[in-house]
Amino acid sequence: MSRITIDPVTRIEGHLRIDAEVDGGVVRKAWSSGQMFRGIERILQGRDPREAWLFTQRFCGVCTTVHAIASVRAVENALQLEVPLNAQYIRNIIVAAHAMHDHIVHFYHLSALDWVDVVSALKADPVKSSQLAESLSTWPGNSRMKLAAVKDRLKGFVDGGQLGIFQNGYWGHPAMKLSPEVNLLAVSHYLEALEYQRKVNQIVAILGGKTPNIQNLAVGGVANAINLDNQATLNMEKLYQVKDILDEVQDFIRQVYFVDVCAVGAMYADWLGYGKGVTNYLSVPDLPLDTKGTQFDFPGGVIMNGDLSHVQEIKTFNEPFFRENVTESIARAWYDGNWTKHPFDEDTEPKYTKFEDNGKYSWVKAPRFKGNPMQVGPLAQVLSGYALGHKPTVFWANKTLETAGSIAKTTLTPAVLHSTLGRHAARMIRTQVITDLAQKHWNLLVNNIAKGDTTIFNEPVFPKGEQRGFGFHEAPRGTLSHWVVIRDGKIANYQAVVPSTWNAGPRDEKDQPGPYEASLVGNPVADAQRPLELIRTVHSFDPCLACAIHTVDIEGTQIAKVKAL
Amino acid sequence: MIRVLGLGNVLMSDDGFGPFVVRVLEATYDQPAGVEFIDVGTPGLDLTPYLLDTDAVIFVDTVTSGGRPGELRIYDRADILRHAPQTRTSGHDPALKEALLTVDAVGGGPKRVTLIGVIPDWIATGVVLSPQVEAAVGRAVMAVVQALENLGVSLVRRDHPGVPDVWWARSESLIPDR
Repeated sequence: MSRITIDPVTRIEGHLRIDAEVDGGVVRKAWSSGQMFRGIERILQGRDPREAWLFTQRFCGVCTTVHAIASVRAVENALQLEVPLNAQYIRNIIVAAHAMHDHIVHFYHLSALDWVDVVSALKADPVKSSQLAESLSTWPGNSRMKLAAVKDRLKGFVDGGQLGIFQNGYWGHPAMKLSPEVNLLAVSHYLEALEYQRKVNQIVAILGGKTPNIQNLAVGGVANAINLDNQATLNMEKLYQVKDILDEVQDFIRQVYFVDVCAVGAMYADWLGYGKGVTNYLSVPDLPLDTKGTQFDFPGGVIMNGDLSHVQEIKTFNEPFFRENVTESIARAWYDGNWTKHPFDEDTEPKYTKFEDNGKYSWVKAPRFKGNPMQVGPLAQVLSGYALGHKPTVFWANKTLETAGSIAKTTLTPAVLHSTLGRHAARMIRTQVITDLAQKHWNLLVNNIAKGDTTIFNEPVFPKGEQRGFGFHEAPRGTLSHWVVIRDGKIANYQAVVPSTWNAGPRDEKDQPGPYEASLVGNPVADAQRPLELIRTVHSFDPCLACAIHTVDIEGTQIAKVKAL
Repeated sequence: MIRVLGLGNVLMSDDGFGPFVVRVLEATYDQPAGVEFIDVGTPGLDLTPYLLDTDAVIFVDTVTSGGRPGELRIYDRADILRHAPQTRTSGHDPALKEALLTVDAVGGGPKRVTLIGVIPDWIATGVVLSPQVEAAVGRAVMAVVQALENLGVSLVRRDHPGVPDVWWARSESLIPDR
């Protein structure tokens, strides 16, 4: 038996640490540990609730927009403040564009190299690559000339002794299974994706005023003055810029991202059987269609034990089923005490002790829903949408399973989605759906303005006394919720329960493992020194824990350690 | 295009050094055509859009290096890339090296890269810089001015420099009552 520790912790930075006990080439037990105390919420105490979103946007440098959205929703919920339709649509387009950007980056730049062997691409025949691609997609970037150029470029790197960004992959690992031709296609799309993720992010900049930190939000609406003929405001020209980008990026998402995920799913079909873990799923509805947040374009709900025949739908921004049932446990986290509390009532005091397998071992708390660990993320949302009969989700999920099944020459059912590759598939399915919905909300916005409605903001008024509010958002990594207690117009308490906390959290007082921990059990490990399989499963959740600070590590540090037990 | 990018988290005390320096630059100098000062926060690999189609980039950030808090270190592209980035569990860890290498892979990345780094004193929840690191802000601003001079760009000091918009460090409400 051996113990693998993957710990990129350096002197100052805080990260995700994964420990796994491996016996007979299979993971038997795992621990997920957040190595940095966050507690950033304390900065908000005593502040003006109207400015909370400016600060929460800085919690994480990647998830800026999502923390801003959840924060204004929480304060609006505390005041029961309605949000004008234009403001909802503008926020929804930003949310959708951010998700498209984030999902493209995750698949191509943060996880594709877990599956794609870059060095193998050097052996590819670009003609065969191109023929293969043309059998699956009409994307013009898959031409023989283009692929030959990518191969030459890659060869140039290798001949120059510089693999650059590709130098540290697990090349030649026995778990790498794609043919050289498929690897070449994937490398080509990796490079193209960089341009499309940048393009779609321009939508966030046009509507949000700036990136990476948007400036157009307000509690009660948005700050985008609308006057179609005025250069200084949101006008027809800017709206058409948004539309053009949506069209262009939609082509990439349809023609390239869809096909690549189906192909990887088909060619690594065994990974549709690993990484299931916790099959309780939580997602919340998003893309509100009315001023009160009672109708949504993307549903969410709770599924227990993978049973798609029962979904408890979460229906409104006031949903008591959500508000009453979220708790966090510190039984196994480095805080003083052993309690399980509701976010409104938390008062966390950090208390670091050492890493104890059977005691406390993480800075991340363990969120629970009615006492249960829950998996959040695109898979949770897609399964809810599928089970609720949400038409766009059902359409794209079925199309994905059919396409991957036809490449693999087998029949795939929704049951395969409970897996490591199922999470990648669900993220892609979600991207297709949200891309369609971005177009829809662009039309809703333009039509509403055409009717003469230019309202963007309702003034918040803070009564004396205490108000409590919660705001949720189905973010790229899953269900995010902010919880605020306001007293006499000032913030008295603030908690953010973030998606990676749900997924990366530790065990709880009942010793129930969190989703990362459960999903690693049963994973094969071919080479303990190069634990590619563990990285695959952890990456499939799209972890985001460590972005709170950014100190450059100018000296390289080794991260994976293996110890015989 | 030349970009001056302030990296760091403004809610983590000394880690907010990069954004702080950018705010001082904005208040003190006019941004010449073809030069942008941007507070980019902690974007991880989402730094790549700010590196594409640039001739030169000047980063301001905190660095782990031997020395006393508040000391500045200036690095070039080769220094930053001397050690290869490691496989990461989270896709969003600090990703300066990865972002530079990723834009290299497609071409169009900056040829000239300067990193002006400060050695931090404390990095923990908080909105103000430590005294040693705050004392380094002026030196870092001058280092940016010098780095731009080296690229052939002279900054013009404003006749009436404004107050740097370091909003996160203020205690009063940022939104005026109507």
